[in-house]
Amino acid sequence: MGAEEKRKECHSGSLTGDALEAEDVLANAEEWSPVETKLVVWSFAIAVIALIVGLIVVPTSVLH
Amino acid sequence: MDFSIHHDGKDWVASCGDISVAAPDLDSLDRKVESELGKRGLLSEQGKTMVRMCFDTRTIPEWIRQYAQHYFNRVVVFGG
Amino acid sequence: MTNQERKWYTGMLTQEDWWAVWLGLGFFLLGLLSIGGIDVLGWITYPKKWVFSLPEGAVAKKIVTVNHAFYPLGAKYSQTAKDFYKGLGPIGGILMTYLVFTVATSIGAYFMRWDLKKYITGWTIIFFLTYLTWFVGHHAFFSASVVDLKKSHFPEMFTLSLGGGASFILALIVGLVIGNFFKPFAQYLSTAAKPEWFIKTAIVFLGVKVGYLPIKAAATSQKLGHAVAGLTFDLFVAGAAATIVAYMIFWPGVYLISRKIFKLPRATAAVLGSGISICGVSAAVATGGAVRAKPVVSIMVSALVVVWAVIELVILPGFFTHVWPGTGDPLVAGSAMGMSVKTDGADAAAGELLDEFMRAKISAETDGKVVWPEGIITTSAVMTKVWIDMFIGLWAFVLAMIWVYKIDKRPGERVPFSEVWHRFPKFVIGYFVAWFVYLAIFFGPGHAGAADGMAVLKAAKVGAINVEKGMRKLFFMLTFMSLGIITDFAKLKEAQFGKMVWVYFVALFCFIIPVAVLIAYLFHHGMMIPTLGAAG
Repeated sequence: MGAEEKRKECHSGSLTGDALEAEDVLANAEEWSPVETKLVVWSFAIAVIALIVGLIVVPTSVLH
Repeated sequence: MDFSIHHDGKDWVASCGDISVAAPDLDSLDRKVESELGKRGLLSEQGKTMVRMCFDTRTIPEWIRQYAQHYFNRVVVFGG
Repeated sequence: MTNQERKWYTGMLTQEDWWAVWLGLGFFLLGLLSIGGIDVLGWITYPKKWVFSLPEGAVAKKIVTVNHAFYPLGAKYSQTAKDFYKGLGPIGGILMTYLVFTVATSIGAYFMRWDLKKYITGWTIIFFLTYLTWFVGHHAFFSASVVDLKKSHFPEMFTLSLGGGASFILALIVGLVIGNFFKPFAQYLSTAAKPEWFIKTAIVFLGVKVGYLPIKAAATSQKLGHAVAGLTFDLFVAGAAATIVAYMIFWPGVYLISRKIFKLPRATAAVLGSGISICGVSAAVATGGAVRAKPVVSIMVSALVVVWAVIELVILPGFFTHVWPGTGDPLVAGSAMGMSVKTDGADAAAGELLDEFMRAKISAETDGKVVWPEGIITTSAVMTKVWIDMFIGLWAFVLAMIWVYKIDKRPGERVPFSEVWHRFPKFVIGYFVAWFVYLAIFFGPGHAGAADGMAVLKAAKVGAINVEKGMRKLFFMLTFMSLGIITDFAKLKEAQFGKMVWVYFVALFCFIIPVAVLIAYLFHHGMMIPTLGAAG
């Protein structure tokens, strides 16, 4: 599919998965970076804190 | 300054009036927008120039719009 | 026409999300008029369980003959216009329902600039197909339970005992047959097959239901009214806590699986993280935007999400009812549903199916002695979902900041805070307004169910019931039907999705669902639904 054709489709809102090449979406993974470790660890940490606070505060939790 | 932005399958395209620039990634897009604005004398001489880029949701397939209408709006400051 | 969100009010007339609020609140307001004795919504036509002819000795109570299979709700509940609505009859009622909703939804379609001709023909086909499946699904063979048979003095006979669930399943099947075997027809219907719009509207109607539940319970006893009001609030609080915990475990978990096991690029992993982990398409689009992924990533993930969501919808309600946790912990099941089924449509639909299955099961188990009010389990499934929908806007904002400032480090780029509002699910406003207004009526002029407030509550009930029962169920039916129509299982076979299909499968069944059930258990275990007893 030519770029021109895609551009046209794009404006009509019919940009679909089938109309586009998907290889670069699935391939070429970047190296794992320390920022990602931080992101993942922080998310889990927030989950643990929210869990503890939630279990204490929410009256219907198993602790009550 | 308000630009509209969308992705045409290959490039990001930012446009505002008769300005339209395209680039495969947002970094080069920003640089192209900056140089285009510079060429036209639209960049502020002394300070910063703020450009808002609002995503054109018409390019999102119609069936998806009922789930989510908003992709992103970004703000880029040139000369900061 | 511009389609960019610039101002806080942009999209109020052009987005499905806002139109769900307008439709939902419009009918909610009309329903409120019943407090002043004006009943304008009694035409909404509702099915009954039916047979072609009554067996000897049977009485038309829970099960009626075919000519009474539908009735305008006003014919039963109206205080001021009962005769008028009775006069409409089943056919007149259905036609009036069609007329009103065709006009109402077409106004929305007009403002959203859809192809109006295509919308109205598509809507007409979907509407009448929906009523037809509603009719078939209410045949006693599919829907009647042992208790229904007994109450109507029927002889013992085999039925599937699916309650209203039979119609939902049937609507989904009819939709899926169209969507998978008659694809050009499905394509034609797609302008009107809008499950997400229908369900968002139905969720605003559900807001009326949540507020009305204490009013209904108060008719049995004031104490029960209080208990139900307290329960809905407990669900609200527990749902919030469970959602935050679940999201913050799900997202990084799926991100890790996608990056480390399936070696996907960052942006794709982030979009999958949101798409698979909690709120499906809307999350995939929000996260795609936040991490500045090419839109194709969100579109591909979304295409998968809708298919997997329907698979969950088919499997989970039955599993939660008959395998675990069953009727012992119905609200654990409901809230787990909200956390594990993607897309509002499939989740609310799965919650509703679970509600039907669970109520039929508890009724059969106790020989009709325990009667749970309809809709509490649905509410538990929707409550977690509503929190999730609100939370994604905030999470997308955090991700946008991380990506823009830490990962991509693009010079000069800023993330505007207004993004949080642009991603806020607007239909939630309608849901809360409807809920709190009815709750205010219960605790205010209704005197919390005391004898001197009962007249107001009875008048409020007339309008509320049209919306929370008639319209809500109709829009759930439309959701099931249109979910089927837009779900194309062939998508899973498309080679370009390859790896993503597997990431989805592994993440969903080995990680998301078990964690969702565990968290739902921690926050909802032991919460019981009060029974309306034999009086219900």
